[in-house]
Amino acid sequence: MSWLDETLDRLCRRPVCGYYARGPAAVEPTALAAMALVGHGRVEAAHAALQWLAGLQSSRGSLGIDGQHPSPCWPTGWAVLAWQAATPPQSSKDARAPSPWSDAAGRAVAWLLATKGTAERNNAVMGHDTTLQAWPWVEGTHSWVEPSAIGLLALKSSGHADHPRSREAVRLLLDRMLPSGGWNQGNKIVMGRVLRPQVQPTGLALAALAGEEEEADHVRRSLGYLDRAISAPVSPASLSYALVGMAAHGRFPADAGQRLAAAAADALGHDAPPYPLALAALAALGADCPYLKAAKA
Amino acid sequence: MTMHPQTDERADTPAEASARGKLDRRAMLAATGAAALAMIGYPLVRRLWRTPQPVFLARGQRYDGPLVETIRDGLAAVEFDAAWVRGRRVLLKPNLVEPYRDSPHLTTHPSLVLAAAEVFRGWGADVAVGEGPGHVRDTQMALVESGLEEALRGEKLPFADLNYDDAPAAPNRGRTSKLAEFFFPRSVLEADLIVSMPKLKTHHWVGMTASMKNLYGTLPGLVYGWPKNVLHYAGIPQTVVDINASLPRTIAIVDAILCMEGDGPIMGTPKPLGLVAIGLCPTAVDATCSRIIGIDPGRIEYLALAAGKLGPIADRDIPQRGEPWQGLVEPFAIVDVPHLRRLRG
Repeated sequence: MSWLDETLDRLCRRPVCGYYARGPAAVEPTALAAMALVGHGRVEAAHAALQWLAGLQSSRGSLGIDGQHPSPCWPTGWAVLAWQAATPPQSSKDARAPSPWSDAAGRAVAWLLATKGTAERNNAVMGHDTTLQAWPWVEGTHSWVEPSAIGLLALKSSGHADHPRSREAVRLLLDRMLPSGGWNQGNKIVMGRVLRPQVQPTGLALAALAGEEEEADHVRRSLGYLDRAISAPVSPASLSYALVGMAAHGRFPADAGQRLAAAAADALGHDAPPYPLALAALAALGADCPYLKAAKA
Repeated sequence: MTMHPQTDERADTPAEASARGKLDRRAMLAATGAAALAMIGYPLVRRLWRTPQPVFLARGQRYDGPLVETIRDGLAAVEFDAAWVRGRRVLLKPNLVEPYRDSPHLTTHPSLVLAAAEVFRGWGADVAVGEGPGHVRDTQMALVESGLEEALRGEKLPFADLNYDDAPAAPNRGRTSKLAEFFFPRSVLEADLIVSMPKLKTHHWVGMTASMKNLYGTLPGLVYGWPKNVLHYAGIPQTVVDINASLPRTIAIVDAILCMEGDGPIMGTPKPLGLVAIGLCPTAVDATCSRIIGIDPGRIEYLALAAGKLGPIADRDIPQRGEPWQGLVEPFAIVDVPHLRRLRG
């Protein structure tokens, strides 16, 4: 049995899953697992996950990190992407059937549109535009790269690519990009020092910038960074985010399948944590990765 | 809501137990001030009574040297009761805030972590390593970049990913910041002893990071973000104190062998010191580290806030074991920004 079949079988058996095999179920890994199952044609198996996500939605439309923590709500965008991935596109023969998730997705999108990171007065210490607002990890704090990328992907998947919030999120991501390419988890320049890029936020930011063709130079520099970074030892999660980010811009390494197989084998050989396995299954889809596809659509 | 299992009636730490005679006498004297005691809080006064707090310093240390002996000797010198840890859970907390494989001055060296594990395992403790990197969401990547993943696998040491661990609410016992509670991972709450194992570095916001600031990494990024921006908004010095006040018992073993000066805690430059600092009171250990890098501890805001509340920072209250700090002073370069100029006086 291939790593992918084994992974998908595991996700089918436990689509509502956590970051670790023995950890509590959480929104982000469950949404990713649902998208992996949908992307690989196991749509029925994803329904339990999608339903579980809907059950966690608050009256405001947001989802917290798990059943015990109704906030912070940064995973809300992932739930939107999972619900949208399971919704047949308008052009398909199933399009007339109403999506059971459209109400939930609509309320989550409304929450995203109403929520933004705090703006700060620009100053000499921080090297990015602190007035730009996208999404924070935690309400009441500053906007950061990953939650902004997730929020942007979710809005794009919901037909809001041209919404002012999406446009500002694009500007924020471009502003936070490091001069030589790639993104740090947090800042770009602090007290005059340029920080260093990391693989995961770079992959996710590149995915969110899919279709922003006028930003080719930014993208090229960041793709160059990822190319170099994944040639060194890299974790399954970072590798997976990197590959999807590269696929978003038409560059999927020829040996991506082998790399993913090796990374997944390592995870399966240890504790088989659902989160990186779901990410690897998504990355195996390349440009057809549902969170990418939904955002492009 | 699950509450913090720690109570004020918890068993004393080894140092607390050894100091109990003094405490009882002081407690008698303090009895007449019961009203004042009630106002400022029992836990606070308990800690005030616990001075002095010895700190052990070893010089000439290397990552390929006999670190097991250094740690064992240091813990003995600060009166750690080795028999107390038998059968107890010990969580070693290194600093892996944002590791890069070409920057060994950024994170706690794996050799020191393994040496500490060997010492506590040798005393019969159930040892695990735990960290919630503040600037890296992919914890496994942080382990890979720091070299710790390979080291832990080799020794079959379990690792607790504190960024993603289940995290029930616990009360903020410090009450220095506005935060009412913290969400500590279960592997932190269920530890009998936390060993803060920081890298000694300058810090461009608060001056220095050592064993107290390192404990930011006990809070899960899932709840606090990457970076843990909630804590920044609540005040870094204040939340450093509050986290330290709210954790289970904590001691410190500081990696000051290869340190970082200048634009720490991430972008600074290497500064070799060859030191290991050990103590049962993180406040006292950090005050000593501060003196060594040329900063009056009273000028570091979180140490000033912690003074007397969590432990002593006055030199007279910190008996030195091993090498005296006065002969080890090596002023660290500090970023020239207005909010840090006060550090040099």
